[in-house]
Amino acid sequence: MMKRKYLMAAAAAVLLGTAFGAQAQDKEPVRIGTIAPLSGPGAFDGQLAVEGMEAMVEIVNENGGILDGRMIELVKYDDKGNPEEGVSAAKRAIEQDDVDAIVGGWFSSVALTMKEVTRDRIINVMTSTQHPNTTKEGHKYLFRLNATSVMMSETYAKFICDKMDIETIAFITINDDYGRLEVENYERLLDECGIEVLGNEFYNKDDTDFTTALTKLKALDSDAIYVSAINTAQGATIYRQIKQSGYKGTTIASAGNMNPKLVELSGPALEGVYSVSLFAPDSDSEKLKAWMEQYGEMFSNEPSFIGSLGAQAVELLAGAMDEAGSARDYDKIAEALRGHEWETILGTINFDEIGQAMQNIYLVQVKDGEITSVNE
Amino acid sequence: MDYVVFAQQLTNGLVNGMTYVLIATGLTLVFGVLHIINFAHGEFYMLGAFFTYFAAKLLGLDYISAAVVATLGVAVLGIFANRLFFWPLRKEHEFTVLLSSLGLALLLTNGGELIFGADPKYVPSPFADSVFEVGQLIVTQQRVLIFVVGALVLFGLNLFIRHSRMGKMMRATAQNPEGAALSGVNIRQVYTVTFVLACGLAALAGALVGPTAMIFPTVGSWAVLKGFIVVILGGLGSIPGALIGGLTLGVVESLAGGYISLGFAQAIGYAIIIVVLLWRPQGLFGTARRT
Amino acid sequence: MSRKITIPVILLAALALPFMTANTYFHHLMVLWMLFSLLALSLNVIIGYIGELSFGHAAFFGIGAYTAAILGMHFGLAGIPGILLAAIVAGLFGFVIGYVSLRIVGPQFAILTLGFGSIIYTITNYWVDLTRGPMGISNIQPLGLWGGDGIALTSAIGYYYVILGCVVAFAYACHALMSSRTGRAFIATRENAPLAASLGIDVFRMKLLGFVVATAVAGVGGALYAHYLTVVTPDVMSMQYVAALIIMVIVGGRGTISGPIIGALIYVALLEALRALGPLRLVIFAALLTASVIFLPGGIVSLWRRITGADTPHQEGAQ
Repeated sequence: MMKRKYLMAAAAAVLLGTAFGAQAQDKEPVRIGTIAPLSGPGAFDGQLAVEGMEAMVEIVNENGGILDGRMIELVKYDDKGNPEEGVSAAKRAIEQDDVDAIVGGWFSSVALTMKEVTRDRIINVMTSTQHPNTTKEGHKYLFRLNATSVMMSETYAKFICDKMDIETIAFITINDDYGRLEVENYERLLDECGIEVLGNEFYNKDDTDFTTALTKLKALDSDAIYVSAINTAQGATIYRQIKQSGYKGTTIASAGNMNPKLVELSGPALEGVYSVSLFAPDSDSEKLKAWMEQYGEMFSNEPSFIGSLGAQAVELLAGAMDEAGSARDYDKIAEALRGHEWETILGTINFDEIGQAMQNIYLVQVKDGEITSVNE
Repeated sequence: MDYVVFAQQLTNGLVNGMTYVLIATGLTLVFGVLHIINFAHGEFYMLGAFFTYFAAKLLGLDYISAAVVATLGVAVLGIFANRLFFWPLRKEHEFTVLLSSLGLALLLTNGGELIFGADPKYVPSPFADSVFEVGQLIVTQQRVLIFVVGALVLFGLNLFIRHSRMGKMMRATAQNPEGAALSGVNIRQVYTVTFVLACGLAALAGALVGPTAMIFPTVGSWAVLKGFIVVILGGLGSIPGALIGGLTLGVVESLAGGYISLGFAQAIGYAIIIVVLLWRPQGLFGTARRT
Repeated sequence: MSRKITIPVILLAALALPFMTANTYFHHLMVLWMLFSLLALSLNVIIGYIGELSFGHAAFFGIGAYTAAILGMHFGLAGIPGILLAAIVAGLFGFVIGYVSLRIVGPQFAILTLGFGSIIYTITNYWVDLTRGPMGISNIQPLGLWGGDGIALTSAIGYYYVILGCVVAFAYACHALMSSRTGRAFIATRENAPLAASLGIDVFRMKLLGFVVATAVAGVGGALYAHYLTVVTPDVMSMQYVAALIIMVIVGGRGTISGPIIGALIYVALLEALRALGPLRLVIFAALLTASVIFLPGGIVSLWRRITGADTPHQEGAQ
């Protein structure tokens, strides 16, 4: 029933363009399908994600691959950030291209649909989606890397309460699953520690101007404005417009979106701003440094959080397949992933029974245009 | 009511409205003169912003020169767009032409993604972060620039259409293409000039608005929708209509967002258009046209 | 070639299609093709028969999808009653919006539908208590007879046949309608509304009828989509779908029955076939799209007519 597509494999191998040992070339590669938004409004995030994965694939392959010399090969699919395209891509990956594992789920709506295609059929590592249902309705082969919104907010709220000298706060929030969940968490958490929430403004994901919202928020005269933005372009615009509006209070950047591009685009508007992330670029982890170096050699973009999640997915799959001794025995691979803690580029992680990763969460701050971790 | 906040929202609305005006004017020209619904209009706005960015980056031009170069460059592209995608279809049904423009829009967006890259970019302008303060009112110089340039360009365009020979030919074509052709109007030239003006105006809007936000290849899609709304609201083919329609929409959105609900601001804008159209189907400044 | 032979042959081919492959990826593409055929046929009633452009069609598709999803979530209705209710709700919205808008024609009508569509989208996106807003509704039950304990449709082939049935039924209905007196009244209305009115045709009623039918069928399509994909988010109402449906109808050939179905096939198949091109995919797609418009302004079906010289009664004046 399933046919191997040697042609595509060959094409991809040429693209990778690296000379492997004779032994390695004899063995069939392990093929990881990655389904990400590569066109449309999410294209940049998708690109960063796939680049992160490619850099990690390169590292694994240079070290001799997995399963005694099998190379990893990435098969890329564009989901346009659209659920039915995600299903098409996942079905094509499984049925037509016969991939060994799937990494995807950058957008929640796509992740929620895709998980039904992969359900109990294939190992599926979900990356940045924060929607709780991704894992709640998950399946035995589904794993999610990103911290849930609750986990992120708890860490961040603690810092905001303890270390930031503010009494009142206002929110500007993206009206999507991420923003809605985030603001819900903070309204509860910050209220508990006595910070008064003065207001919240939702904006839409296609908005390009935020002056109306910011005029409203500025009039509230809160000590801080919390910006919930996951899209780099919107985030940078908001930070700049906050500065342009003449707001004098503290700006707080949302969890999980601090990336070098955002810093570059926002210019001085982001200087000194805090955020929390699973990815601290200045960490002294050897694994992370190696990946960042590889990334720098291969791509012109800077390594980002979203790319590091993709890299971690590849890293974990490679490790678990090695441990299971097979790229296809999904029960064993899943068991390996759940079985113990993993040393990854983002530090030590482990998975709970529904496949949710417990990651380290770092506090970061923009200093002199660099994202640096804050040591408490 | 806090009057400072009100004045600030009003100012925001007027500036955003002027952006809509600049986008809508080109659309209304193409629409009014040639009866073409040009879905690709927003992409010329996108190109205007990107050309400004690359002119500044690659040629090392300052913002103003880069904006001028970009506007002229996209205006020239308008000649090709017309020759390839619109002129050959001039005798076809309007839906066919619409689809052609939709195809052009997809081509430019996806081509842009391929050539410019998907990453968002920032068009640097010396006016972007400098602020004008009038009392407690705060406006960036860039926004003042948008408003002033917009007003000047509109004034100039109005003069051109009212008094130049070409403008008269365009108006004749708008009213009756066959009749105009019979009385010696060079329709082909009218097509070219209309598209050059429309694309140039869209590009100018992109160059001016670029520095107030980030630019990315799909940025044109909202622009064309806003443009259409303004065109219909103001009245097809009417430049004063585009002006009043654009400013009205900007102010309505800003005040609705400021005092009712930000999330619903756009929807409220649409609701007002629906009410206006049901009351005056030809738009605020349009003349009733029998179809 | 006579219609008496071609139609049964095409039907048999459509019935046999899923058995050509055991690959569920192809089955999925077939489902998408049928689903878009249904939607494109429904939009064709507005574009091809009424002769107006609607930018709001995705909203009715979305209303159908949300009706089915919400009924399933709150009342466990996941079967035929849910589909019928989706049609009724979408049709009711269509009736109200059509009643208000259809007196206005041309670009203004298109913008009115855009406005209504956008308002429906915004409400869907913000009325979290009802629609769960941007979080969308996931885990929608598969289609059954009555929902709950009935038979549930889980395979793509099953959905293919159900939607194929809808497409055939609706295509036949369109054919029958357009061959009837009412159909001729439609054509008369589209070609020359004032003349039609002077001949005693109630132009407004004709248009409203067509609009309500189109929106109700879009609702059915939405409901089937929701059950098939099991997830619905406000994105189903986005301009992306509006543009896609307009492309299918016009590329295929508006005002015909085979046109929108062919258009849907081209849309689905071409986009999938072009996947191998990676980043060039959508650029090539757009180039082919514009080329087809410039060289075949009457749509793909006009190619057929050009070759055979054949014509069918209600295709007249479609160009």
